[in-house]
Amino acid sequence: MKRTLALSLITPLAFTATGVLAESNYPNQDITIIVPYSAGGSGDTVSRIIADPLSDELGVDVNVVNRPGAGGEVGITEMANADPDGYTVGVFGYPDNFVVENTRDVDFNSDDDLEFLAQFDSTPMGIFAKPNAAYDDLDSLREYASDNPNALVIGESGALGLLSALAFESNLDVELTEIRYDGGGDLMNAILGEHIDLASTSSMSHDPIVDGGGTPIAFAAAERMDMFPDVPTMKELGVDQVMEVGRVMVVPTGVPDEVRDTLTDALDAISTNEEMIDTFLEADLPYNYLGYDDINEKVETSNKQFQEVIDNNADQF
Amino acid sequence: MDLSLLGHLFTPAVFLAAFAGVLIGIVVGAIPGLNGAVGISLMLPMTFAMPPQLGILLLGGIYMGCMYGGSITAILINVPGDVVAAPAAMEGYPLTRQGQARKALYYSIFSSMIGGTVGVLVMIFFTPPLARFALQFGPAEMFFVSLSGLIIVGALSGSIPKSAFAVLFGLLISTVGIDQIAGTDRFTFGENQLRSGISVVPVVLGLFCIAEMLSVLGRRETVEGGYRDQAIKRRTVLFDLMRHKMLLAKGSVIGTIIGLLPGVGTTLAVFMSYTEAKRSSKHPETFEKGNVEGIVAAESANNATVGSALVPLLALGVPGSPTTAIIAGALVVHGVILGPSLFQNRPDIAFVFIYGMLFTVVAMALIGAYGIKYFSYILRIRTAYIVPTVLVLSLFGAYSLRNSLFDVFVAIVIGILGALFRRVGIPPAPIIIGVVLGPLIETNLSRSMRIAEARSLSLPQYLFDSGLSWVLFGIVIVLLLIVIQMRRKMAATEG
Repeated sequence: MKRTLALSLITPLAFTATGVLAESNYPNQDITIIVPYSAGGSGDTVSRIIADPLSDELGVDVNVVNRPGAGGEVGITEMANADPDGYTVGVFGYPDNFVVENTRDVDFNSDDDLEFLAQFDSTPMGIFAKPNAAYDDLDSLREYASDNPNALVIGESGALGLLSALAFESNLDVELTEIRYDGGGDLMNAILGEHIDLASTSSMSHDPIVDGGGTPIAFAAAERMDMFPDVPTMKELGVDQVMEVGRVMVVPTGVPDEVRDTLTDALDAISTNEEMIDTFLEADLPYNYLGYDDINEKVETSNKQFQEVIDNNADQF
Repeated sequence: MDLSLLGHLFTPAVFLAAFAGVLIGIVVGAIPGLNGAVGISLMLPMTFAMPPQLGILLLGGIYMGCMYGGSITAILINVPGDVVAAPAAMEGYPLTRQGQARKALYYSIFSSMIGGTVGVLVMIFFTPPLARFALQFGPAEMFFVSLSGLIIVGALSGSIPKSAFAVLFGLLISTVGIDQIAGTDRFTFGENQLRSGISVVPVVLGLFCIAEMLSVLGRRETVEGGYRDQAIKRRTVLFDLMRHKMLLAKGSVIGTIIGLLPGVGTTLAVFMSYTEAKRSSKHPETFEKGNVEGIVAAESANNATVGSALVPLLALGVPGSPTTAIIAGALVVHGVILGPSLFQNRPDIAFVFIYGMLFTVVAMALIGAYGIKYFSYILRIRTAYIVPTVLVLSLFGAYSLRNSLFDVFVAIVIGILGALFRRVGIPPAPIIIGVVLGPLIETNLSRSMRIAEARSLSLPQYLFDSGLSWVLFGIVIVLLLIVIQMRRKMAATEG
C-alpha cells in the first residue's frame, strides 16, 4: 500500500517531461464514464452494462457518473471539456449531441470537441397509434391524416422523437400537431389513455404500448428487428426514413492516439463478450456493435439526414 | 397466487432485503437533501449483483423508508429530510419544544405504518382497475388536479398577502429554464446552468434546512441544546390513534389516489391531506403550534403514495415519478419486462416484490417504533454541532442531485432568502407548492390548448370534455369554498 502511494506521488513528477512514457502506462487510474442522463434510463443502463467488462479488460475501475440536464446538454458539454487523457469518456444516445447543438446555442461542437469510439446498441424510432384508432397501418394513417390536416396529435419525448415525427410528416406529406412530453413514461400514459392519437418514440416502448392496446405503425429501422419481426420498417413501406438512437462512447478530442487505440481495442475485445450481450438483450436493448471506423461513417451519413429535417423545420427548433 | 410462490416469499433473504432497504431509506430520508430518488440511484448499481426479486425489493424498501425518515429530523430539529416531511416539521417541532418529541415521533411512525399498509394493499389487490383509472387523467384532468393544489395554500397559516407572495415566488422560480412546450429560454440570463431550470430539491434545502439553521444561530434558547423529552408509552399513542380512524383513512385514501397520478408527486398528497385534517379538526387554531392531527394526516398520506405510485408501473410499465422511473430502470436491467405480461412471465419476481412490499411496512414499523428512543438522542446534541452538520449535509445533498455546484449555489441563495422571509413572516410551504405545481399547471394547460386546436374545439370545450373533468372542477370549487370558510373561521377566532 505504502509503495503504491509513493509510486503514485512520484509517477507524475517522473513522467511530466516524458509524456509518452506516461501514456504507454495507460490506464493506471480509474476511468469515469459520464452519462448525460439520470440513473435508470437506457443510456445509463448501457453504460452500466459495459462498465464491468471494460473494467476487467483494462484492469482499472470504471465508474459511471450521471450528469443529467437540458436533454443531455449538461453532460455532453462536460465530456467535451474534459481533459483528453482517456480517463474521462462519455456514453450517450447519438444523435442527442447533434440535435442539441443544432437547435440551441451551446458550448460544445461535436465535430471539433468529440471523437466517437464505438456504438453498442441501436434502437430505431417508431410511430405508434393509440388504442381503438381509426387507422392501424401506414396507408390508412396517411389517408386519415391527409383528409384531416393537423387534426391528429402526435406526442413525442426528446429531440429525436420530434425529429422523427417531423421527418415522418414530410415523408408522408401530411400535417400533424406535435406535443412534447418530458419523458417516455408521460408519453406512454398519454397514448394509452387515448389523450393523443400517435406517439413518436423508440422501439423500447413497443411492449407496453402493444400490451395497452396500441398499434405499432412502423419502425424507422434499417431492417426488421429480430425482437419484433411483425413490425414493418418504413423503408419496406416506401418511406425512406431511418432514425435510430445509437448508444455511443466518445472521448474529448485530443486524446493521444495510443490511448485511443487502447480504448478501442478494449471495446472491440469486449464486444463479443457473450455474457455482456445477453445482458443487453435481457434489458431489451438491441445490441448492435460498431467499431471505430463504422461508427464514424454512420455518424457522418446520419448527420446529413438530420440536418435536412432541421433545416426544413427551422420554426420548430 | 400459486402456493409455491409463498415459499419464495417467506425466506430470510426476502425479509432481510426489505429490512436493509427500509433502513437505508430511513437514513437517506432523514438526511436533508437525500430523497428516495437519490437513495435508489445510489444503491441501484449494487442491486445489479443481487437476485432480481431481492434487488428490487431493496429499492422498494428504500422508497418506503425514505417517506418516513424525513419526519424524524423534521420533528426533532425542524429540518425535514425531504419536502414530504414538511408538515411533520410544522406540527412536530412545536411539540418537541414542548417536550413531547417522542409523542410526535410515535404518531409519525404509526401513521406512516398505516398509510404504507393501505397503499401496498391497494397495489396488491387493485392494480389493474386502478391503472386503467389513472390513464383517464389527460392534460385537462391534470390541469384541474394541479389547480386544486394551489388552492390548498390558502388553508395554510400566514396572512393572505404573504401567502400569495410566497406561492407566486414559487411559481416564478418554476418558470426558470427552457420552456417545455415552445423551447424558448426564460429567465436564464444567458447562463447555461439555468437552462435546465431550478430543481425543487435545492429550493427545499434552502428554505427548510439552511434557512432553519441560519435562524437557529440567532436563537438563545437553543444554544444549550436539548429540550426535555417526556416519556410516553407506545400503547398510549396507539390507543389514541384509534380515535383518529377517520383521519388515517382520509390520509391513506388521499395519498393512494394522488400517488396513482403520473407526474403529480407526493408533495400535493401530503399537503392536501394536511389541509383536510385542519378543516375537519375541532381545534384548527392549534395547527402549526403542535397538533398531532397534522402529523397523522401528512405521514399516512406520504407512505400511502408508495404502493399506489407503483400501480401504473406494474400494470402498464408507465413510471409515474422520478423514483418509480429509477425502479423501472432497475427492473429492466434485471430483465423484467413491465406491463400486463409481468405477472405471467415472471410471477416469481412480481409476486415476491408486491407482497414483499408488505414486509417493508413491517420493517419500517419495527425500526421506527423501537428506534425512537435512540432517534431522540439527537435532542441532546448541542446546537453548535447540529448547525454545521445540517449545513454540510444540505450542501452535499444539493450537490448530489445532479453533481452540480450550481445547485449548491441555488440552495445557499434560497437559504438566505428563506431566513429573511422567516423574519418577515412569509411562510415557506407555499413557495414549495408553487415550485412543484407551476410546471404541472403550465404544461398541462398548454398541452390542452394545442390538442383543443387540433380537434377544432375551444379551450373550455376541451377542458370539460370528460365527466372526470367536471368532477375534478367540482373539487376545485369545493376546495375553494372550504378554504374561504376556514379563513373566515381563522379570522373570527383571532378577532
